[in-house]
Amino acid sequence: MSDLQRILNVASRIRRERLAGIRLKIMMPILLLFLPGMAWGFSDPNIVLPGGHRPDTAMEVLFYASLGVVFGATMCAVLMAFDGVSKDRASGMLEVRLAQPMPRRHQATALILGHAQSILLPVYALLAVAVVLVRLRMGEWPTAGELLVYSASTGLIVLWYTLFALLASTSAREQGTAIAFGIGVWFFFTFLWALVTTMVAYASGVAVGEANDPAWVALEGLLDLLSPNGVYHHLLETQLPTVDRGVAAWQSWLAALLWTIVPWWALHRRMERLVP
Amino acid sequence: MQGFPVGLAMAEAVLSFRSVQHRHAVPAPRLTKPWAKREGPGVVGVSLDLHEGAVLGLIGPNGAGKTTLLRLMAGILPVQSGEIKSRFDGETWTDAGDLRTFVGHMPEQVRWQGRSTVVDALTQLGDMRGTSTKTIERLLALVGLRSRRDEPLDNLSQGMRQRLSIAAALLGSPKVLLLDEPFNGLDPVAAQAFAALVRTLASKGVSVVISSHMVAQLEGLIDRIALLHRGQLLDEGPLGEVEQRLGLSGRYAITGSGEVDPKTLVDEKSILAFEQREHDWILTVDGPSAEVLKAADDSGVALTSWAPVRPNLVEWLCAATGMSVDDISLEVASSALLPMQSMEVRGDE
Repeated sequence: MSDLQRILNVASRIRRERLAGIRLKIMMPILLLFLPGMAWGFSDPNIVLPGGHRPDTAMEVLFYASLGVVFGATMCAVLMAFDGVSKDRASGMLEVRLAQPMPRRHQATALILGHAQSILLPVYALLAVAVVLVRLRMGEWPTAGELLVYSASTGLIVLWYTLFALLASTSAREQGTAIAFGIGVWFFFTFLWALVTTMVAYASGVAVGEANDPAWVALEGLLDLLSPNGVYHHLLETQLPTVDRGVAAWQSWLAALLWTIVPWWALHRRMERLVP
Repeated sequence: MQGFPVGLAMAEAVLSFRSVQHRHAVPAPRLTKPWAKREGPGVVGVSLDLHEGAVLGLIGPNGAGKTTLLRLMAGILPVQSGEIKSRFDGETWTDAGDLRTFVGHMPEQVRWQGRSTVVDALTQLGDMRGTSTKTIERLLALVGLRSRRDEPLDNLSQGMRQRLSIAAALLGSPKVLLLDEPFNGLDPVAAQAFAALVRTLASKGVSVVISSHMVAQLEGLIDRIALLHRGQLLDEGPLGEVEQRLGLSGRYAITGSGEVDPKTLVDEKSILAFEQREHDWILTVDGPSAEVLKAADDSGVALTSWAPVRPNLVEWLCAATGMSVDDISLEVASSALLPMQSMEVRGDE
């Protein structure tokens, strides 16, 4: 059996275990509400958004509906993975796993893939429903390119939050600490990041909240590269030609790469040094 | 407790640890460096050979470093200094490499839980080793869990969980098997079955290490003994040899009916303990048991039993360290509070 096959086998078992768990059943209504629900709402032909804006393409609707991913899917990723390591540590299973001759880096990769897949599968299924709903209500399909970027970006943001939660899980000896860390990071980037942006803008002498002020738009665009949610929106905006926040597509993808590599590397490093 | 079996007397060492060390990093925050850590307890300068088909009892009080040493032997903790060599081919000693490929490790008290079945839990671990389904089924039969293969983990008793733990440790057909406090939580029947399983494995050539702070639990099971205290190996070798070396051999418990003055049976210096009960008495002597038998025969005292007495953990430690019972008890009680020589280290945990 090759190393890759071994990693995939272990990841597959984690995925199956998580998918069959009660936790996912509890989270499904949240995901249903946030993913197809938002797509349904934003694809209403009579909708008028603040500022009198009306989304007029399928991709634009999916972009607004991506708020559901930011609020719902990321939180579910954290809730799914927060005990990925800490539970095994508490039960003694971590010691059993670490005693197996599978390199710890491979074990870490299997953990990441298994947990990310376990939340991505339902998220992708519900996003497919969302796309069909948009088609039904607007009579328009998103293009293949748009769908590809939408899927990849959503996969990445779920992966990032899975990585944060697993990192917390390796550091915390108690599951409560792990979930507090995971939810804390989620809360910070989802709700408090606007405050950080505002504070930086204020300190930089940029008028705060002026949507038409190019300095504010540029600063907000730049600061969003430092937040996983911001990078997610930047990636989606690459498919919206009317939106320009001063960040090139390659910069968005580079930031996405960094948001993937750095926590992935950190988790591998943690696993290498982990003591049961 | 049985002596070193003749068949194993010539058993060769297969795994050798030389001056190995692992000390845990413990937080030592300072104002200028709040994340600083220092070297804390662990194991220091341990040299130990594991022999093919022999059962080694790793004895020490709580906090002696037994679990750390086992984790180090299992390849879970890195060796900070020292070397580990193996010679399973019976020829030359070579660097042991990744210990996890030939060492099976059963940690203390694994809480197998969840709705997964027994066979699923084992298969999941087997995936990490590339173990075949056939091997897993064979292991389930070996540990007596075949009839429970489809039972959810939540339904298992403590004894069954211990059996599952040993099955997990045997997944890779290990040449060395490490068992950390395996008797904890087992009732006497389960403990006896477990001990029989260990002897079966040893008879197949597996080198077994069992850690325990309860020497009595290892009665009749171990061939060799290693005494660990405060992270250091005090003595190691075949049980009888170590007993003799530490002056702990030749102790006997003699019981008899009626009343007796022990001084009439043996020299006062040889009396270790004497208890006169309502209808009988127990005398523990060091050395001249034949003298007692003769004296009892001469004076018409009725003896009911005569058996060798094995030392307990504290006696082993007293003999190995040269400290008194009081000092050793205090030492054991406060060992967690007495830091070993400390220095700043890098480390995560």
